[in-house]
Amino acid sequence: MANSVTQDGIATVLSSQSSSSVRPEIVVQVIDLKPVGNRYTFNANDGKKKIKVVLPATLTSDIISGKIQNLGLIRLLDYTANDIPGNSEEKYLLVTKCEVVACALDSEIKDSTGIVLKPKDKFVAKSASQRINEQSGNAAPAARMAMTRRVHPLVSLSPYQGSWTIKVRVTNKGVMKNYKNARGEGCVFYVELTDEEGTQIQATMFNAAAKKFYDTLQMGKVFYISKGSLKLANNQFKTVQNDYEMTLNENSVVEESKNEEMSVPETKFNFVPIDELGAYVNQKDLIDVIGVVQSVSPTMSIRRKSDNEMIPKRDITLADETKKTVVVSLWNDLATGLGQELLDMADKYPIIAIKSLKVGDFQGVSLSTVSRSNVVINPDIPEATKLRSWYDSEGKETSMSAIGSGMSPSANNGSRAMYSDRVCLSHFTTNPSLGTDKPVFFSTRAYISFIKPDQVMWYRACKTCHEKVTEAMYSGYWCENCQKKNEEYSLRYIMAVKVSDSTGEAWFSAFNDEAEKIIGCTADELRKLKSEEGKVNKFQTKLKEATWSEHLFRVSVSQQEYNSEKRQKITVKSVSRIDFAAETRLLLRDISKNKNTSQF
Amino acid sequence: MDTSSPAAFVNGDLLRRYIGQKVRAVVQVIRSDIGSVVGKTTDDQQIVVKGSPPPSLTTYLEVIGIAESDNTIRADVWTNFGDNFDAGNYNELCKLANGEFRHMFI
Repeated sequence: MANSVTQDGIATVLSSQSSSSVRPEIVVQVIDLKPVGNRYTFNANDGKKKIKVVLPATLTSDIISGKIQNLGLIRLLDYTANDIPGNSEEKYLLVTKCEVVACALDSEIKDSTGIVLKPKDKFVAKSASQRINEQSGNAAPAARMAMTRRVHPLVSLSPYQGSWTIKVRVTNKGVMKNYKNARGEGCVFYVELTDEEGTQIQATMFNAAAKKFYDTLQMGKVFYISKGSLKLANNQFKTVQNDYEMTLNENSVVEESKNEEMSVPETKFNFVPIDELGAYVNQKDLIDVIGVVQSVSPTMSIRRKSDNEMIPKRDITLADETKKTVVVSLWNDLATGLGQELLDMADKYPIIAIKSLKVGDFQGVSLSTVSRSNVVINPDIPEATKLRSWYDSEGKETSMSAIGSGMSPSANNGSRAMYSDRVCLSHFTTNPSLGTDKPVFFSTRAYISFIKPDQVMWYRACKTCHEKVTEAMYSGYWCENCQKKNEEYSLRYIMAVKVSDSTGEAWFSAFNDEAEKIIGCTADELRKLKSEEGKVNKFQTKLKEATWSEHLFRVSVSQQEYNSEKRQKITVKSVSRIDFAAETRLLLRDISKNKNTSQF
Repeated sequence: MDTSSPAAFVNGDLLRRYIGQKVRAVVQVIRSDIGSVVGKTTDDQQIVVKGSPPPSLTTYLEVIGIAESDNTIRADVWTNFGDNFDAGNYNELCKLANGEFRHMFI
């Protein structure tokens, strides 16, 4: 098999195009392989000349799977040479058929005088599965790995792809857990793997595989892994952003990469400014923060309720440019190790960035580390530089207030509650799993955009306890709750309304008191209008009048099961009129906040 | 009055930038006479608004006219803005409308 390019290959191709219909098959090196839309282009290099080549979309999968590699050699089997539009001098090749000759060479071929350059991996290119099958069974796994180390990006893996090898770093590791279920006992642990592109995936191992790989898969080390299986990730337990999750069994291959360096991108942070933490209280999602350490407490010992064990804790106060402070509780090793470090440098007011914090509601808003939290002191990132210069110039002197003050989730009618935890409707549409564990509260300003006239808007309610009443045997209405028969019922609203704001729309459920404020009359009155005959449909008019009115809502978000599907349910807890001056002040604050972030 | 160009939102500080040009301002009425009103701008500066004020005035008043000096406006349009008005917000508006977001107003 040739492991070099065809001498003067490109010149041959270009000259033959004009004359015969014979297509000389030439071997070229792939340079500058890059995607353009869903197709790939590259420059074909024959050592002397280069020509642009366009590959059809059908070959894209071969590139992604790593068969066709940059700096590798391919033989062009079928192609046409076309003029580059706007440039009659140059041509480009549209290749319809090619075969891989060699994978990535060390470098671009400059010399075409027949010097054979050794490809990185000395073997004939075949499809990945072909290769694995051909390997004799007695080749030791390590040797086999060395032959077939074509690394696939994590993003290319799927349950339907046969053999792959990934090169990843263990960026997180869970402890071995023992479990007992109907099928028996077992042990399990998971690791979080990150590849060079920054893609992450969770890999789980059970029983024998768990025991086999637990000690091998150490945090921070790089491994070549193959023969794992993929399946769709279970949303409930998802910890990383990936549609799939991996399982390794006893046959999986895990080999440590001892010598080669791997550049795993630095931890990707997604910081939430302290004054926006209110929206994340008691939610499942973990968030990242960055701030100046204003104070560090001594270590405390807290008794864990579940097993009465004493665990160390340390509280630190962080401040950021929003002029708000928040308390972060560091637990276990973070409290003793890192916490002590912070205490020692507290007089320098270090900047720390923390990844994966849980947001709780202690004193309004509180942050807590979890086992997968990752703390970096004085990180070398632009946000830290910005914070440092802000703190040194003005932050140090500014008086700041704790984010939690005035933000208790139980206060639902106070006017203060209308201005904290403020979100736009997009917050609900982009976070479908809000309120999974326990309901979360927000305030939002929106317009009523649609009230369906033909929905069930009310129910017959007991005048005393407001529960639903049923028709009694001969006359009257029976209230199961009061265990009493009533002569009459009152109608109470239970209504679905559609709301809109500049970021999106959502459906809210409103009960009696709130719906009355929205519609402007009681359910009894509205029903009367509905039954009235006449030219003007007063019922529809009333609904129309309520539409496109703007309100300030306090809502709770929870998850409801609907035909075995979880759906977001947003319930209106209170409605109030817009205070334009206060809203304007909020808008002014948002404008100045956006101004500060867009400067960088 | 030439209605082709927009009136710039001004407070006391910004008025001097638009001498000879059309401006609009909301002032808190301090004193009113025949032919003029003395008002406090939203950044607490005193200006005189000349012209024909309406017979009854509320606490806040919006005037639109030509800036004659750095503390006088000759107004053609007078609108009562009621007794409840957030001067702070309006002042911030003036700053934004003449600063970073100027292109959206002029």
